[in-house]
Amino acid sequence: MERIDVKNTLPAVFAGREENNSEVWLQDLSFERGKNYLISAESGTGKSSLCSYIYGFREDYSGDFLFDGRNIRELVVEDWCDIRCRHIAYLPQELRLFPELTAMENIELKNRITGFKSAKDIEKLFEALGIPDKINASVARLSIGQQQRVAIIRTLCQPCDFILLDEPVSHLDNTNNKIVASLVMDEAKRQGAGIIATSVGNNVMITNEKEYKL
Amino acid sequence: MIKGGLMWRLLRKHISAGQLIGFSIANLIGLTIVILAVQFYRDVRPIFQDDESFIKKDYLIITRKVTGVGAMMGTTSEFADSDIATIQKQPWVRKVGRFTRSEYNIWATVQVGRTGMHTQFFFEAIPSEFIDVNPSEWHFDPAHPQVPVIVSKDYLSLYNFGYAAAQGMPEISEGMVNMIPLSFQFTGNGVNEVIPGRIVGFSNRLNTIIVPEEFMKWSNDRYGRGGDQLPARLIVEVNSPGDQRIKDFMDSHGYEIAGDKMDSSKANYFLTVIIGIVVSVGVLISLLSFFVLMLSIYLLLQKNTKKLQDLLMLGYSPHEVSKPYIKMVAYINGAVLVFSILFMTLMRLEYLPMLRAFEVSGSSLWISIVVGVIIMGLITTGNIIAIKRKIATLWRQKD
Repeated sequence: MERIDVKNTLPAVFAGREENNSEVWLQDLSFERGKNYLISAESGTGKSSLCSYIYGFREDYSGDFLFDGRNIRELVVEDWCDIRCRHIAYLPQELRLFPELTAMENIELKNRITGFKSAKDIEKLFEALGIPDKINASVARLSIGQQQRVAIIRTLCQPCDFILLDEPVSHLDNTNNKIVASLVMDEAKRQGAGIIATSVGNNVMITNEKEYKL
Repeated sequence: MIKGGLMWRLLRKHISAGQLIGFSIANLIGLTIVILAVQFYRDVRPIFQDDESFIKKDYLIITRKVTGVGAMMGTTSEFADSDIATIQKQPWVRKVGRFTRSEYNIWATVQVGRTGMHTQFFFEAIPSEFIDVNPSEWHFDPAHPQVPVIVSKDYLSLYNFGYAAAQGMPEISEGMVNMIPLSFQFTGNGVNEVIPGRIVGFSNRLNTIIVPEEFMKWSNDRYGRGGDQLPARLIVEVNSPGDQRIKDFMDSHGYEIAGDKMDSSKANYFLTVIIGIVVSVGVLISLLSFFVLMLSIYLLLQKNTKKLQDLLMLGYSPHEVSKPYIKMVAYINGAVLVFSILFMTLMRLEYLPMLRAFEVSGSSLWISIVVGVIIMGLITTGNIIAIKRKIATLWRQKD
């Protein structure tokens, strides 16, 4: 996938609002592969909605999203499964880890359908993010910051054209924020992928070519 | 291994063992009832049928109704040729045979040891194609006269279980009867002769004493009036003796059906009805248990909605996500099927000895097994469709 076009979109819940200061909603814009974007937003402006539209699990919007010119409303279940395994890597804001599994098992669950990283690669990521001792710990017992790092590792365990990060560092300190930024950018560079990150306030340290205010 | 294991660890949450055990027991009972009923029907049916040939045949013996008034008025009890032609034309008739009877006096003497039994006798004859036994000596040669006789098996039973048992006489087998010397004394037309005879077979179908038609003709010419006689009894081969049209026809023409052929087919009919009721109960139980399992699965999927959606978010297809549940259902249903076949076989071993008294050895198991497999297949298919549909509705999330 080379580009994602956003054409005159608006979440259904915002329909009828008169004021629109957004640089995304009801605008035409595109995200290109290999480039990094930051969507900065205040809370309640629909950034998680934007991510869920692009990731295909909600459809309550007007306007169109196009993947390489193809309207995503036409995509079928198999297309979305393929996109989620091979084209868009997504970090949900609510992380969506399985608390009954260990950190490693959570990552396995993703990696086994993509077969993208070796166990060694995954261990290296745990080390880089300072939680090598948590590999076999139950996710339920991890702090929210540790959970966020596990979720980020899981996001990186797949081939992709875009990395879609919904508030990736909200629970991280500066040091880890930096580490995450460099890991994500390295991975994107290796794959030639683009990064779309959302953030409340500009604390994401991923460098970007373009910032949109939502 | 780790693949299935991880998914299963996630998705087995909220599985209610109680509900699944409840379903399994209910379905086990239902399915066992159904296949046991089918098997029992197949095992018992031969008792109600005379399966002498591959295609089921049944024979009715019909007479005119004897009424007091009719007898006094001298109304004939015989069938005219036109009556026979009418019967022949009925759609349920395959063949009609005439009984001819002896028109002279017969005295039979049986010599058992020193005891002799002397009794008046009568003979009937029908075409051999209607006789259910086919003894080798079934012919008559006037040059070397000897009369072969077929008697009803009931006579032998009557003798063995009634007379012999009560009088302390020895029971006799069919083979022994063949060796008992009989002699018949025929009187008529001014002739008085004694001819040796022999019982050559026992009939289940014919409740009378039968001699070959050639002998009947010869003896009627010799001791009786001779010439053609009109039959008082007819034997009719029919497709299905339970047919209501037969009863209607007999009633409207004042004919009577002898023997218990109609009764046996009535019994067969009631057997079918009873088995039908039992099968329906079994199916109903299975059906209810099917809904219990469906509800249980729905509840399970509902409780695991978030997990299932999270798996879909990771890129798992609805098919992969539903697989652990489909496997679970398949294992449970497979086990229920195996156990119900096992129970059916065990219970069958209990009733088979009772059927031996009717000389029935039981038929093969495969039809009831196929019925079980089909019912289980349908239930499993229903479950799988329900699982897939439910998971399909989870694909889109409503936040």
